[in-house]
Amino acid sequence: MRIPCPFCGPRDITEFAYHGDATLTRPAPGDAAMHDYVYLRDNPTGVHREHWYHSAGCHAWLTVTRNVSTHEIVGAEMAHKEAS
Amino acid sequence: MRKEYGCVLDLTQISAFAGLRPVGSGRGLIVRERIGLALATVMVRKGRTAALAAAVKEQFDIALPAGPHGSGSDSTSFLGTGPGRWLVTHDARTPGFVDSLSRKLEGLASVVDQSDAYGVLRLSGPSILEVLAKGVAIDLSAPAFPAGSVAATVVAHIGVTLWKVDETPTIHVAVARSYAGSFLHWLETSAAIYGMIME
Ligand SMILES: [Zn+2]
Repeated sequence: MRIPCPFCGPRDITEFAYHGDATLTRPAPGDAAMHDYVYLRDNPTGVHREHWYHSAGCHAWLTVTRNVSTHEIVGAEMAHKEAS
Repeated sequence: MRKEYGCVLDLTQISAFAGLRPVGSGRGLIVRERIGLALATVMVRKGRTAALAAAVKEQFDIALPAGPHGSGSDSTSFLGTGPGRWLVTHDARTPGFVDSLSRKLEGLASVVDQSDAYGVLRLSGPSILEVLAKGVAIDLSAPAFPAGSVAATVVAHIGVTLWKVDETPTIHVAVARSYAGSFLHWLETSAAIYGMIME
């Protein structure tokens, strides 16, 4: 599996660290929304958006669009707007 | 030897790749350590990319690269290693280079001295691409990685920064100093069949 890093170009998956669902926003601490954020996660099939960190390359956070059924990488962009 | 009230050893400067030695019988890989480099990481401050590029142009007459590319020469180069981040190499032996760089980029970027942090090798020779292909998972051939290209990647689980300076090809590689011995072990093993010589 390769991820097309917008800075580095296509790189092997071993250069990256997976960091979970990119569609959720962490809520303010202390309310019930935090419980749902931590524990009530969907388990979708098909196309998913997720965070990956290019730990062995440019050290950028990416938002990767991946089909979790086929592992096809549909796209990757910088998670941080100013970095792109 | 006695100094003031005690005995201390005289400290000897030993380069990161002091263990370099010829391997095998051919001349497939030619290696030279770049000793005495000044190195620094430069990270742009928020929203100051254009101002930083202007300052680098004015102070060094170097076009600050926006992507994974190098600008400048072996004397002074800015190598793009990540978004808003560069590795600066300086080989002109200017005393206090990193301090002066830091002053020149004051308010535009964070400058950290890395001169003692990396060992740098200059690699060339007819078998260079075959040797590097044993550990580098990216295509270093001319169409995919032309002269001026920079890559931060891994070799045998060791983080490296590679940059191609000409199409001979000549490739420079920076390795964290504490990993220099491990990297050299990989390099010697990978180059043995082609032969490795010092320049
Ligand atoms: Zn990257």
